[in-house]
Amino acid sequence: MRRPNALFILLLLAPLAAASDDVDARQIVRNAIDHWRGISSYSEMTMTIHRADWERSMTMSAWTKGQDHSLVRVLEPKKDRGNGTLTDDKSMWSYSPKINRVIKIPSSMMGQSWMGSDFSNNDVSRTDEIVDEYDHRLLDTSVVDSMTVYDIESIPLEDAAVVWGREVLRIREDHIVLEHSFFDQDNVLVKQLKTLDIAEMGGRTVATRQRMIKADDPDEWTELAVLTVDYDVDLPDSLFTRSSLRNPRD
Amino acid sequence: MRMLSILLRLAWRNLWRNHRRTIIMLSAIAVGVWAMIFMTSLTRGMVDQMVSDSIKVLPGHVQVHHPDFLDDPSIGNPLPYSDATLQQMFVALELPEWASRVRVPAVVSSERESRAVTLLGVDPLAEQHFSFFDYTQVEGRFLEDANDQGIVIGKKLAATLETGPGKRIVIMTQDPENEIADRGFRIVGLYTADPVSVEEAYAYVGRTTAQAMLGIGDVSTEAIFFGDDYRNVEGLYQEVSGLLDDSVAVQRWYEIDTYLGTMLKTMDGFVLVWIIVIFLALSFGLVNTLVMAVFERVREIGLMLALGMKPAAILGQIIIESMLLLTIGLAIGNFLAWATILPLEGGIDISVVAQGMEMMGASSVLYPKFHVGDMTLASTIVLILGFLASLSPAWRASRYEPVEAITKV
Repeated sequence: MRRPNALFILLLLAPLAAASDDVDARQIVRNAIDHWRGISSYSEMTMTIHRADWERSMTMSAWTKGQDHSLVRVLEPKKDRGNGTLTDDKSMWSYSPKINRVIKIPSSMMGQSWMGSDFSNNDVSRTDEIVDEYDHRLLDTSVVDSMTVYDIESIPLEDAAVVWGREVLRIREDHIVLEHSFFDQDNVLVKQLKTLDIAEMGGRTVATRQRMIKADDPDEWTELAVLTVDYDVDLPDSLFTRSSLRNPRD
Repeated sequence: MRMLSILLRLAWRNLWRNHRRTIIMLSAIAVGVWAMIFMTSLTRGMVDQMVSDSIKVLPGHVQVHHPDFLDDPSIGNPLPYSDATLQQMFVALELPEWASRVRVPAVVSSERESRAVTLLGVDPLAEQHFSFFDYTQVEGRFLEDANDQGIVIGKKLAATLETGPGKRIVIMTQDPENEIADRGFRIVGLYTADPVSVEEAYAYVGRTTAQAMLGIGDVSTEAIFFGDDYRNVEGLYQEVSGLLDDSVAVQRWYEIDTYLGTMLKTMDGFVLVWIIVIFLALSFGLVNTLVMAVFERVREIGLMLALGMKPAAILGQIIIESMLLLTIGLAIGNFLAWATILPLEGGIDISVVAQGMEMMGASSVLYPKFHVGDMTLASTIVLILGFLASLSPAWRASRYEPVEAITKV
């Protein structure tokens, strides 16, 4: 199995999980995760952060290897060029050429926004170890464009480090997550990750454009669009180190 | 002896020859003394409360930490003893109340907000008597034991996080390897505290639960001990430090919160300065009154000297006069102060300026504290300084040349 880019996957799958009681639902979620999971990938993508009165875009390149390792580097705009993020398991480092320092993101900042987007550092760094921290239930099955779509409700376990009351996923039979909704504990929708475009890329069907929207302010969203992606590229372990975060060798 | 009683009688009568002047002087002294004591008791009440509130939040009159913990209060600096070892060490000695706690900085997040807090892993059974809030006053319930899976946060924090009892929040902190340690907790209770700022600062979880989350076995970051009186912790300090070696730092509360310690120490100095300042203002009136009394009676004093009264007796008479004046003034002033403070001891509501007071760590009700020591101090200072101030006019009176004094126009 291969994946388009780790960040994407992490974003998508962070709050997902394999389950305990409902075998079908758990398997569907598991398959969706596996669809993204790959040996390695290289991709370029554009992240657009939209607010009511402004909007900015960043182009980034991203390398991923396995579940735990990812490296993201900003290409555009020029003033942000070279800013990077490295994740290893739950840990995260950031590098800015302006201050020429690699900083480990402390736990106190993991809840904060990643590069000013609507994704938090947590969203970016969490991997599927959180899979086991949810109960999954198949809510509904429907057919859209002659493909089966599963609605799955995922409820975090009592001691899971998840703030949401429940999450609802719409997963297509080809393992594409169409929609991922986050509800608070009063069952009010807080934010939603929507897949806007699905295309063949790097030899696979993947979601190429996804948007995270805040429910109480539809004018605030962050969009990730994949420009190019290569799978199963040969990446050395040394790429995912702090020294490589600081000194790009490409 | 007979001499003294004559002098006393002379002084007393002289005092009331011009009773209007005497009464004015008496009221000046009384008001001055009242101000000394009343103001002192207000400040003392405030400081006392601040100190005891802060000690409750600290908490512990004597605390044991890893030597580096105070500079770097992270889980990387835990106590070198396990809870079981501590238990063995201290229980045998029948120490007063003590407990071990896990104290780490953490981030608490709800669906919408996140805030930095100090996470306290406590054993509620060990420390229910000395927390800064009454465990029975918790909305919902407090933790039941060290193994409780719930979390208790302040009411204000819950409001900030837009969450409430029965909901889950996520605590995120770092383990000893600086990796992220996190866990979801269900809120089981909300506490209220005075001052309100405390409500946002601390979150309580079971000690064992916290230790499991951090992966530190049964090790805590601090052991806290309570004595009977926070003013006298030396005995407790000796007892605790006698049991421990150099691998830990044993500290008294005022070494941990030096601001508070200094504040308490400065308080006594402040009281003294305040009393002296008021007295200085008073002394001008006193000396003036005495000088006037002497001037009015120059011929009379001359006559007494001529009749054979010794200059020392004249000196004594004037001083007795001033002492009588001061004593009566003090008595009235002290009584006034006592009578005004007593009804206010239930507390003065100053919630109008509560926010400002909170910045100083004081709460919105001010409890004046009547302190016998302050009253004695004020009275003694007034008497001694009054004596010194009256020396000069009295000395002048006793130095008159009888003939000149009698013939003085």
